[in-house]
Amino acid sequence: MSAPAAELLELRGVSMAFGGLSVVDRLDLDVRAGEIVSVIGPNGAGKTTLFNLVTGIYRPTAGKIRFEGQSIVGLEPHQITRRGIARTFQTLRLFLNMTVRENVMAAAYGHTKAGVFRAILRTPGQRREERAIRELAERRLAFFGERLMGYRWDQPAYSLSYANRRRLEIARATATNPRLLLLDEPAAGMNPVETHEITELIGKLRTEGGYTILVIEHDMHVVEGISDRVIALDHGVKIAEGSFDAVATDPRVVEAYLGTKAAERK
Amino acid sequence: MADEETRRERLEEGVPAASATAGPQIGVDEWVARSAERRGGRGGRLGVVEARLRTVPWWAWLTLFVAIVAALPVGFESGYVRRVAFDTVIFMLLALGLNVVVGWGGLLDLGYVAFYGVGAYTYAILSADRYDLHLPVFVSIPAAAVVGGLVGLLVGLPSRRLVGDYLAIVTLFFFQIFLTVSNNSDSIFGEDRAGGPNGILNVEPLSLFGRELPVSTEGIFNVAYLYVALAFFVVVFVALRLANASRTGRAWRSLREDPLAAELMGMPVNWLKLTAFAFGAAVAALTGTLVTALNGSVFPQTFEFPLLITVYTMVILGGAGSQAGVVIGAIGISVLLELLREPGDSRFLFYVLSVLALVGTLRFSRRLAIVLGGTLALGFVVHSLAGAIDGSWTAGAARDGGRLGEWATQWVVVPSSLASWVTPVSYIGLVAAVLTLTLLRGRLRLALLVPTLYLAAFVWENVMLAKPEPTRFVVLGAILIAVMVARPEGVLGEKRVEIV
Amino acid sequence: MDTFIQLTINGFTLGSVYALIALGYSLVYGILKLLNFAHGDVFMVGSFIGFGALQLLGGSTAPKVPTWLLLVLITLAAMAGCALLGVVIERFAYRPLRNAPRIAPLISALGVSFFLAYSMQLMFGSEQRDYDAFSLSGGALFFNGFDIGNVRVPLLRIVIVASAFALMIVLWLLVTRTRTGKAMRATSYDREAAAMMGIDVDRVIVFAFVLGSALAGAAGVMFALRAPTDVAIGFLAGLKGFTAAVIGGIGSIPGAMAGGLILGFAEAFTQGYISTRWSDLLVFVILIAFMLVRPQGLFGKPDIKKV
Repeated sequence: MSAPAAELLELRGVSMAFGGLSVVDRLDLDVRAGEIVSVIGPNGAGKTTLFNLVTGIYRPTAGKIRFEGQSIVGLEPHQITRRGIARTFQTLRLFLNMTVRENVMAAAYGHTKAGVFRAILRTPGQRREERAIRELAERRLAFFGERLMGYRWDQPAYSLSYANRRRLEIARATATNPRLLLLDEPAAGMNPVETHEITELIGKLRTEGGYTILVIEHDMHVVEGISDRVIALDHGVKIAEGSFDAVATDPRVVEAYLGTKAAERK
Repeated sequence: MADEETRRERLEEGVPAASATAGPQIGVDEWVARSAERRGGRGGRLGVVEARLRTVPWWAWLTLFVAIVAALPVGFESGYVRRVAFDTVIFMLLALGLNVVVGWGGLLDLGYVAFYGVGAYTYAILSADRYDLHLPVFVSIPAAAVVGGLVGLLVGLPSRRLVGDYLAIVTLFFFQIFLTVSNNSDSIFGEDRAGGPNGILNVEPLSLFGRELPVSTEGIFNVAYLYVALAFFVVVFVALRLANASRTGRAWRSLREDPLAAELMGMPVNWLKLTAFAFGAAVAALTGTLVTALNGSVFPQTFEFPLLITVYTMVILGGAGSQAGVVIGAIGISVLLELLREPGDSRFLFYVLSVLALVGTLRFSRRLAIVLGGTLALGFVVHSLAGAIDGSWTAGAARDGGRLGEWATQWVVVPSSLASWVTPVSYIGLVAAVLTLTLLRGRLRLALLVPTLYLAAFVWENVMLAKPEPTRFVVLGAILIAVMVARPEGVLGEKRVEIV
Repeated sequence: MDTFIQLTINGFTLGSVYALIALGYSLVYGILKLLNFAHGDVFMVGSFIGFGALQLLGGSTAPKVPTWLLLVLITLAAMAGCALLGVVIERFAYRPLRNAPRIAPLISALGVSFFLAYSMQLMFGSEQRDYDAFSLSGGALFFNGFDIGNVRVPLLRIVIVASAFALMIVLWLLVTRTRTGKAMRATSYDREAAAMMGIDVDRVIVFAFVLGSALAGAAGVMFALRAPTDVAIGFLAGLKGFTAAVIGGIGSIPGAMAGGLILGFAEAFTQGYISTRWSDLLVFVILIAFMLVRPQGLFGKPDIKKV
């Protein structure tokens, strides 16, 4: 990135242990506004745990997490989301029996106000807000071009294909009006064409949507295509950080992925 | 509402625009998305009618429905019909309230009936002679609903920290606490506060605009109560519908679908659980006021476990999540329970439903003829054999005769007195036979169906008709299990999917 | 002091019955994550099967076999009958809902509970059935025993507590020492993983139902030996057994035992020292408080959310 922007997300010495098992160990991590940062690492490296820590599902056993300069440790997940962090899930957690549009509209809950009694009385303010939510949802869905358009809006989410479910998850996350978007393996289970599309889409999310993005990804083509910076984790410890090329050739990263022998051969 | 508009627009446009191009490939998104069109749409005239009916907006259905119920007293003069209609509307209200918690919130509220009781008691305390408060109904009824909602919040509060099933347990505890308190309210710290098992008597009836509505005129149920209940129903139905279409309603349903995802999308899940809970409780409490006003009294025995199961069966049978569904479920179960009270009606219901069920599953086919013919033949054979062996075996009289009863005793073995082992053996045999039927396929199933039907008739005539009270609840339990296993979405509910 | 000892004995007996019921809840919950609301009614059916077996063997006034054998036989009959009932319930009411939304089997369980209770009422009426244990061997079970201070501990109580604990130890051994027991524990940690490791999950689940229901049957007989039974006892007994399981930490076997005893003592002491009328209320209020402070129970581990 050109201008050194402010730190949007800051992790200092964050550790997480379940019982005696340390999953994340004294992790320092920064994400600056406007960046796309990728987190890579073998399975069990603590990547998803990292997301769970940032979004408040887990409370770190030690360390500080700051978002826009304020500590978010100990906040409820929904409060963190309201501050501007939204995420998608590796295993897809859509509201399957709600329509596509409702999935996105539901996520606007955090930044809207009209209570249920106003809804029952149908006050003008509530109707205005409801229209605004609807428009917001449609704009977010329109972001994906043809993919999530038109008559699909009223289909239940379970009728979508796998790739479209991933897209809908991203649309839903953006409807919370976040500044930081956490994407958990957005290209998992996609075919090459779709993977290519998602790579472009992530770029577009930054340029057009203005989101800062932290992404977990296994597909190195995607990582290479999108990342300003790559962070490699192994056993909860940061083992490398830097440009894609630097990290991808780092012997410790190769070792983490392929084992010691392969690293030696290299 | 908005969804319906767009659906209508689409229908007016005719076929979805996308199909102008070549048909979608199998397995691709469009194909999946249009599965409903491939399966759902009926062909021919019936299909056209169905499509037309779908375009009728919900409020038109509601108006039509209310008009029919309102016209009932005109057609039927009898106080009995009016009273049953009133009770049914009460059940509809209860089902609507429970639907908020179970159908939308996806929470298991096992204390629901206690909130109904809280409303009933609150109204009684505010308007019974014994407490001498005599608040006007425009104060006491909303007050009862608010109290119900607040108690709902309070009960939900401990469950903030408890996930899933624990909420069900806390509500069950609350139910038990409510029962203990109300049953022992004749000695709270040694003082009689609310009559205990003797309840609170002499509660004022409703009075509207300064005029008291007597409960009955010349011994006939005052139809004004039916209209008041119906008005409550309309208000509650519309209010809940609007709530469901709003931001809060979406959040409730998100919570049902996936609480963790909802929380991470910025929805305060705990708070939403509490509100869903409180809303259900408020509706139940509101309903309680009506019943107390009509009965002029309130007793703890009204709010027991069977009532809870009854309301649950209504919601589940109709289709949790669908307002129209739970209303239909409430009507169906309410009428069913009423019919099961009288042996004559109960017998009629049994034979009609059995034949209808057979026609429904086998259609008009040769198999249907075989089964019906076989069952009839088996019956006459068994009947004459039994009569030949011992005359007393077929000498029993039909309970609450009628012509159908006389016919039935010519076919079903009804002994003049039952040996004590016959009841459990035949009943358990019937349950076993029905369960086995669900495991069999093809010819074997048909073959077993014949004796099972006859056994069912035997049990119905000899066991069930003799004891209407447990029979009603056995039937409810069976419906609950059968619906859950065979069609969890109920009659009108939308099919749900869950990826595990 | 005498009252205290008396109440302790009462609490112990009651507690061991609750513990047996709690174990059934715990076993099933541990594996299926299902609150088996019907369990209390299985317990009730157990007490009736015991009653039926007792009548077949001549009743308590003129038994055809020696008292000890009589007790063993009726308990075994109840255990076998309930085990069969448990298998049937699992097969027809829960198995079809294995992959349904979480709330579906719970509602089905409510239906089963209701169906069982009212089927029993339909068949046998709502009158109380008394085992009349007092008549067995001319009251030997009540007059014999040993003394603590001025209080006599009747033989019947000793038998109940001892056999309840014997059953629990058998269960403990089954779960910790046998192959099936290991499979059960594996399944309760992670059902899918267990299935992939070649464990027949269906069989394990059936086994859990067999064990749990058999214990409920035994508990039913023990309960009915000290007080008359009727078709309505299932609800409250089930609720208490479940509560005991929650206190101890649902899914944990020692937890269920501890929870049962705690509940038994709590009930006995509130009844003895405070009020019979309000004892249920106090017990439930204590419980809600307990669940707030330690929702995972005494022996349970806090849930780790999986994302």
